[in-house]
Amino acid sequence: MEEKLLDFIRDEFLDDPDTEIDVDTKLISGGMIDSFSLVSLQTFIAKEFGKKIPAPRITAASFDTVRQMVEIINQF
Amino acid sequence: MAYSQKVKNSYLETLQTIKDNGLFKSERLICDVQGADIEVEFPVGSAHKQLINMCSNNYLGLSSHPEIVKAAHEALDYRGYGLSSVRFICGTQDIHKELEKRLSAFLGVDDTILFSSCFDANGAVFETLLDENDIMISDRLVHASIIDGMRLAKAEHDTYKHSDMAHLRKKLEQYQDRPRKIIITDGVFSMDGDIAKLDEIVALAEEFDAMVFVDDSHASGFIGKTGRGVHELCGVMDKIDIITTTFGKALGGASGGCVSGRQELIDLLRQRGRPYLFSNTLAPTITMATMKVLDILEASTERRDKLERNMKWWRTALTEAGFIIVKGDSPIVPVMFYDAKLAQAFSKDLYDEGVYAVGFFFPVVAQGQARIRTQLSAAHEMSHLEKALEVFVKIGKKYDILGKSKEELLQIKL
Repeated sequence: MEEKLLDFIRDEFLDDPDTEIDVDTKLISGGMIDSFSLVSLQTFIAKEFGKKIPAPRITAASFDTVRQMVEIINQF
Repeated sequence: MAYSQKVKNSYLETLQTIKDNGLFKSERLICDVQGADIEVEFPVGSAHKQLINMCSNNYLGLSSHPEIVKAAHEALDYRGYGLSSVRFICGTQDIHKELEKRLSAFLGVDDTILFSSCFDANGAVFETLLDENDIMISDRLVHASIIDGMRLAKAEHDTYKHSDMAHLRKKLEQYQDRPRKIIITDGVFSMDGDIAKLDEIVALAEEFDAMVFVDDSHASGFIGKTGRGVHELCGVMDKIDIITTTFGKALGGASGGCVSGRQELIDLLRQRGRPYLFSNTLAPTITMATMKVLDILEASTERRDKLERNMKWWRTALTEAGFIIVKGDSPIVPVMFYDAKLAQAFSKDLYDEGVYAVGFFFPVVAQGQARIRTQLSAAHEMSHLEKALEVFVKIGKKYDILGKSKEELLQIKL
């Protein structure tokens, strides 16, 4: 799951696909993803993992790293 | 007491956090009319300073133009100061309808509806025109008012990488089953000064049966051969479904804005656009002064032509001097420093030397993309630009940044 999320983030959000990111990279507070674009992640998670995460659970603070995302996805 | 110490402290803490993060904004007092030369008091209480203004949206130099000021004075005598009403109760004067007609002709659209600001215009569009089955696909760098407008709508939203047409296509394919799709972009992007590829966007919109929305606030009046905007520049004058723009930048600089576009869309906004229904009508002074702006722009392209000359000279001069600028064809010319501290120090030195241009850094722009945004105006004479360049070069030498690459700039430690 982590690798799939990282691949999607590289493709969807990063202008330079060679930018190094890992499960603890701060994506939103680090300026790589703007919080308004999180909807792409929500759609991807629903499609790829069959998990519909309610919008209020997807915030700049709760979805800042892939590790955090995985924790939330696993709650559903 | 309802406003307890606990509540008060919560706000003080937030303010302190803003200060601790270096993001606290202080206002500079302009003790003058808006123009290329301004007298500024900063900090409040200090001696006034004469500055060359390189950071206003006064692109055409009309903000304090005598003919515009005169038109506003005349409006006071002709149609009064205010209407004390929203448009649909008793706030629509003949001049409001006349301005709407004039703007429609200028922009080449069916109809126009006025708003108190373009922020309000962008706040009205999406909520009114789309429902929960529809999809909004926006460029990732659109203006904050569009983002807020989209947040108000029930329609789903998604974004595409800045000006990346392949990514936009991918999104259109993804959502092609939606009944109504709308592609949303700025005409000129305010932070980078680059221009939307509207011709390519329109081609994609036609292929996927999507509407096109453009906020042309940083373009109306001067982009395109006769200043109609990015749709004129890109040769798609009759292909844009919704244009929003402001009167608060090139078109006089006071305030107010509009939505212009397809007849049915404007008709529906008049019925259901909440900022239109529940906010006051545009003041007669602004309404008539904006018509005078259109008179000036329709009579001659002299002002936008001068702006274009200034823009080309400034872009070339900065590049030849060894600065890194974001390439483009708009009068928004960002000078790149990448490092926030360097941009801040440079901006302060510019101010001390008599040039007013503001630094932008994260979170306003992406991390590691700190810059000083310079903006050209038709009010600038060559003497202003030569002096500003001299100051930029002087400070550039002080920090030893001229001719340096991005990587080299990032090595500079202040």
